[in-house]
Amino acid sequence: MDERVEVTLNINGEEYQLEIGKRWTLLYVLRDVLNLTGTKYGCGTGDCGACKVLIDGEPVNSCTYLATRAQGKEVITIEGLSKDGRLTPVQQAFVETGAIQCGFCTPGMVITATALLRRNPNPTREEIIAALDNNLCRCTGYVKIIEAIELAARRMRGEA
Amino acid sequence: MAERQYEELKEFEKQLEARGLKYVGRPRPNREAVLKVTGKAVYVDDLRLPNMLHAKLLLSPHAHARIVSIDTSEAEKIRGVRAIVHYFNSPHNVFNSAMRFYGDNSPFDMPETEYIFDEYVRFVGDRVAAVAADDPFIAEEAVKRIKVEYELLPAVFDVDQALAEGAPLANPHGVDGTNICGGWLAYGSHSEEEVLKAIDEADYVFEDTFELSKVHHGYLEPVCHVAYYSPDGKLTIWTSGQNVFCFRSVIAQALGLPHSKVRVIKMIVGGAFGGKLEVLHEPVVGLLSMRTGRPVKLRLTRKEVFLSTRSRHSGKVTVRTGVDKDGRIRGQYIRSLMNTGAYAGSGPNTVGAQSGKTFLLYDAPYMFYRGAAVYTNIPPAGAMRGYGTPQIMLPRETHIDRICREMGWDPVEFRLKNVLRPFQNNCLGQNVHNARIADCIRAGMEAFRWYERRRAAEATHGQRVRRGVGMGLAVHGAGWYPVYQDLTTVTIRLHDDGTAVLLTGTHDLGTGARTILAQIAAEILTIDPDLIEVIEADTDVTPLDLGAQASRTTYIGGNATILAARQLREQLLDEASRMLKVSIDRLELDDGFVVVRDNPSQCVSIADIVASAQRGSTGMPQRELIATATFESRTAIESYAADFCEVEVDTETYQVRVLDFLAVHNSGRVINPLLFEGQVHGGIHMGLGYALSEEMIIDPQTGEVKNPNFKKYRMFKAADMPPSIRVITVEEPEEAGPFGGKSIGECASDGVAGAVVNAVSHALGVELRRVPLTPEYLRSVVEASRRS
Ligand code: FES
Ligand code: FES
Repeated sequence: MDERVEVTLNINGEEYQLEIGKRWTLLYVLRDVLNLTGTKYGCGTGDCGACKVLIDGEPVNSCTYLATRAQGKEVITIEGLSKDGRLTPVQQAFVETGAIQCGFCTPGMVITATALLRRNPNPTREEIIAALDNNLCRCTGYVKIIEAIELAARRMRGEA
Repeated sequence: MAERQYEELKEFEKQLEARGLKYVGRPRPNREAVLKVTGKAVYVDDLRLPNMLHAKLLLSPHAHARIVSIDTSEAEKIRGVRAIVHYFNSPHNVFNSAMRFYGDNSPFDMPETEYIFDEYVRFVGDRVAAVAADDPFIAEEAVKRIKVEYELLPAVFDVDQALAEGAPLANPHGVDGTNICGGWLAYGSHSEEEVLKAIDEADYVFEDTFELSKVHHGYLEPVCHVAYYSPDGKLTIWTSGQNVFCFRSVIAQALGLPHSKVRVIKMIVGGAFGGKLEVLHEPVVGLLSMRTGRPVKLRLTRKEVFLSTRSRHSGKVTVRTGVDKDGRIRGQYIRSLMNTGAYAGSGPNTVGAQSGKTFLLYDAPYMFYRGAAVYTNIPPAGAMRGYGTPQIMLPRETHIDRICREMGWDPVEFRLKNVLRPFQNNCLGQNVHNARIADCIRAGMEAFRWYERRRAAEATHGQRVRRGVGMGLAVHGAGWYPVYQDLTTVTIRLHDDGTAVLLTGTHDLGTGARTILAQIAAEILTIDPDLIEVIEADTDVTPLDLGAQASRTTYIGGNATILAARQLREQLLDEASRMLKVSIDRLELDDGFVVVRDNPSQCVSIADIVASAQRGSTGMPQRELIATATFESRTAIESYAADFCEVEVDTETYQVRVLDFLAVHNSGRVINPLLFEGQVHGGIHMGLGYALSEEMIIDPQTGEVKNPNFKKYRMFKAADMPPSIRVITVEEPEEAGPFGGKSIGECASDGVAGAVVNAVSHALGVELRRVPLTPEYLRSVVEASRRS
């Protein structure tokens, strides 16, 4: 069916040599080849952000990103954020503020928030809202998600 | 029996409250939060079973057709295709996908109209066939190669078409050769004629008809099922559903299996809101696994979710109200037609549920409800947060505002004059218990600075960008007493290290039900909630429950938890009294110990008590400390909401922006304020979309959903949300609820759209008769009003 190609992917700091379909999305490879199921399929059309991963530090929808394109780049998934079982400040803030209900949008939200705070440690509310432009949540009305990002930012700046 | 149990339960709660509550009423994050935030939570689509196959559905491209033949020969030639099922090779057992318990299939409530595969397809997206293959790409390719010959049939898409003289039958099960599903539901305080007459005799009579759109739950997790038929003849289904015991019945019926050979396990659910309450494609996946002997997974694409799952009933609602000069509502008549789509599902039941809410908000001596579900050839409607209630609240709340405009009443004052008061009987003679809607209105009026902001908004009405301030009310129940049996059973077991496990058939949909039940059990057992494991919804493991629906989980599940924990507490005190040689009435549970009240240094830990019971150390038989209790609802309890909002409308673009939203809720005592607020925020999000942006657009020619994706089906993004959202509670406890709690899940959303539409009406000075308020619609209304 689909033509196969050999690729080397760097995911969460590890190298993987894989034979994959040429048209496979990065999301498919993450979830169904590598069993990194923390990254979610929500729409497959780039409209919900549930599948976001960091590619060279930028949040990208992996459902519309061909896996072959990720060669030579650094991919970080939700599984790759926390080290030694310790939550990152963003993750910690999501838990505490009640920003997590069904949790299906959460990995994508956390990826987006992490990229934002790396780029801009002191975002305004408007900047946070703008960063969430490609992340849908059906449970929280975004209220506590925005609060969580504000709290994480304050903590990362050492203010809380 | 039930009465005595209930009284003892309430007495016990009072004692606990007198002691001071430690966990109930305190904020606490969702207990799955850490798993979810690290990507470790396992949803159905994350299951990986050995040799698992992947399924794909072939969905009907036609709104109504008979399947003449199906040719699968080309599909079967593809390597890796393991099974293909369709009408000509599958069991033909009729069922209703929303059936909840045995016998729940009366032609009126839950007509049986569905098959795994039918000879007919009745909407674009109806199931035609399904393939199981080694990977999803093969399955997809195989589906494309299935050839189907159809005989096309005429179709109807909306309720007017469906009820027109000589209309084609969208579904053959309609009543008396019509498209009415189940029959008319008609009842009220008096006969229909008497109520209509009373209305006509009032000083003023108003009537409005409102068009309601079809909206989708938009849960982020697409529908996904995994099935495995093991060699011992047992079918196990893993699903993201809301009602495993109901699913077991339906799946067993569809596949001709005994209940004991079907096990349904709920996984962590990525949002449901009613959309996963009915059986969807589980029987198909089960059938594919039976055919192949291998595990099979079906995960729908987002487009397939829009085409082939459930959605909110669209339809038409007319409200006719008679009001006297003094501003009192004399009578009200509501006529509702709900478009249930191609199959009955919960159509008649949704009508029933909405009819009940009609009588629980306003105090009018004469009221009557007449409604029906109507078959059409569009995707089936089903349960969705509110279950028919928003479809009453929205038309009626906008109608009430119109009455206020024409009679010169302030909307808040008119409502305050007419809403039901606590412990009042409504016109049907039903007691509304501690219904604090008037308090909600007053609290909201003050917090929102109602008069001041109405006036300030009116000062902008000559400008291009105009502001409007509006409000709307809602009521929702908890459970379905007295309509059906409403029970749940909880089992709690104590371990010999002093921790516990709670088994419940209730379902946590991300709402925090597991967290809340643990808080309640912890309050009684004095164990930290994190040390109480909560195992939910597995038909072979947990006790019976009737599903996460009707906002019943906290009420019914919470009370069952109190009963079971209280029994365990008695067992603990009993064993401790023997261990300490102190009479029971001198003992109390405190922070994981049983202590002697007048001599707290004399105590024994829960761990030691459990161990002692298991060893039989005090001369009693060796035993596990375990308690099982069933709670049966004996009271209908209602939650109330008053929603306030301010909007801004640009009269050139007709874009609406919601500036501020205030939700005032009377849900009794709030068990967990953090989760409670989250429910309200999500309800506001859903209601705003209902009012302003969301609609499944049905092509009037083909009946197809024209916008089956998140690009064109517009749910609110973060930037669309009001910059200010506030939640206030009127926490008067409701006696029947656990620790005085009532429901919130559905009430959170029921009144939102009404408040928004009223605010936009206020801004533009026009009557609005449909949702969503798209710029095109608003422009057309304003232009028409200018012309007239
Ligand atoms: S799944 Fe990729 S954006 Fe929705
Ligand atoms: S928490 Fe459910 S979609 Fe965001």
